[in-house]
Amino acid sequence: MQPTSGLRCADYKAPGGKLLRVRLTVTEHATPPIITSLRLTGDFFMHPEEAILDLEERLAGAPLEAGALHQRLQAFLDTGIEVIGASVEDIVHVILSAQEILDS
Amino acid sequence: MSQTWRLLQHGARSAFDNMAIDEAILRCVTGGMVPPTLRFYRWQPSAVSIGYFQGLEQEIDQEACTTHGVDVIRRLTGGGAVYHDYEGEITYSLAIPDDYPGLPRKILDSYDALCRGLVIGLQALGMPAEFKPINDITVNERKISGNAQTRRFHGILQHGTILCEVDPHLMFTLLKVPNEKIRDKLIAGVEERVTSIRREMGSVDRARVTQALIDGFAEALDITLVPGELIDHEIVLAETLKEEQYATDEWIAMR
Repeated sequence: MQPTSGLRCADYKAPGGKLLRVRLTVTEHATPPIITSLRLTGDFFMHPEEAILDLEERLAGAPLEAGALHQRLQAFLDTGIEVIGASVEDIVHVILSAQEILDS
Repeated sequence: MSQTWRLLQHGARSAFDNMAIDEAILRCVTGGMVPPTLRFYRWQPSAVSIGYFQGLEQEIDQEACTTHGVDVIRRLTGGGAVYHDYEGEITYSLAIPDDYPGLPRKILDSYDALCRGLVIGLQALGMPAEFKPINDITVNERKISGNAQTRRFHGILQHGTILCEVDPHLMFTLLKVPNEKIRDKLIAGVEERVTSIRREMGSVDRARVTQALIDGFAEALDITLVPGELIDHEIVLAETLKEEQYATDEWIAMR
């Protein structure tokens, strides 16, 4: 069977916070799947702003699983980055809730 | 101790000029070339700005913007998409060093402190305005002002808008909606969640509102605001920032 790679998307409004929108691709042949690329957009704040690229790089290669995502996000924040309007749990939640979109 | 700030009362400029000028001011304030600065400005043509982290395609109907002659720009600050109508809002920016005396260290608290000027100004006009975390000001639970900060070059830039009149239909023509079925619901929702100077005061006297906000900032921050102009360096820098960043597709379509 050929490994497939599909685009998965999700939007999630963090309670009391901002809207998180994620688009990611994964390799499906692993369990859990491995994130191959990820883009996080939305109306949140991150200081400094450019760190979003570092975050997206850190999440590429991560298994699509709560513990690993949590760990990578925390390591990212520990470099001195401040995210306003979304918690680590919110970001993990939106990533894990991403569903494959079907062409209609 | 009272500090002296520069007050810039700019008229209308393009979105690209406005965002470039805000950054140029921040750089010159933190470079010690000019005092902390409070600036008021307008958008001509009207424009939609998206936050630093937003996806252009996800948020904006670019065809509709072209049809309506509305510019599209990405801000240096995070936050959401905003329709900046030439008539419909008062926009301000302020730039200070990040070690500004008396300013709370925590970003969330600094929004509150810096938004005080707007709250006091709106209250002086008779509106029961309140700061609503994270970055909004509400009147009777309805949003009248949104604000956004960036921190860089050892400085803080905060800009924001005070809604004068709202056109929800146009707003949701320019901004994308999750699906067409809920467009009418979203438009109706604006009436419930958003208010404006027109709705609260019955009319819009821009000069009066702006003056109230200026007085509000002076009181809230205990500052003396002295009318001034951009210095030559800011003008040249803004021109460069516009050409090399804000007006480029690379920047606007970055995400």
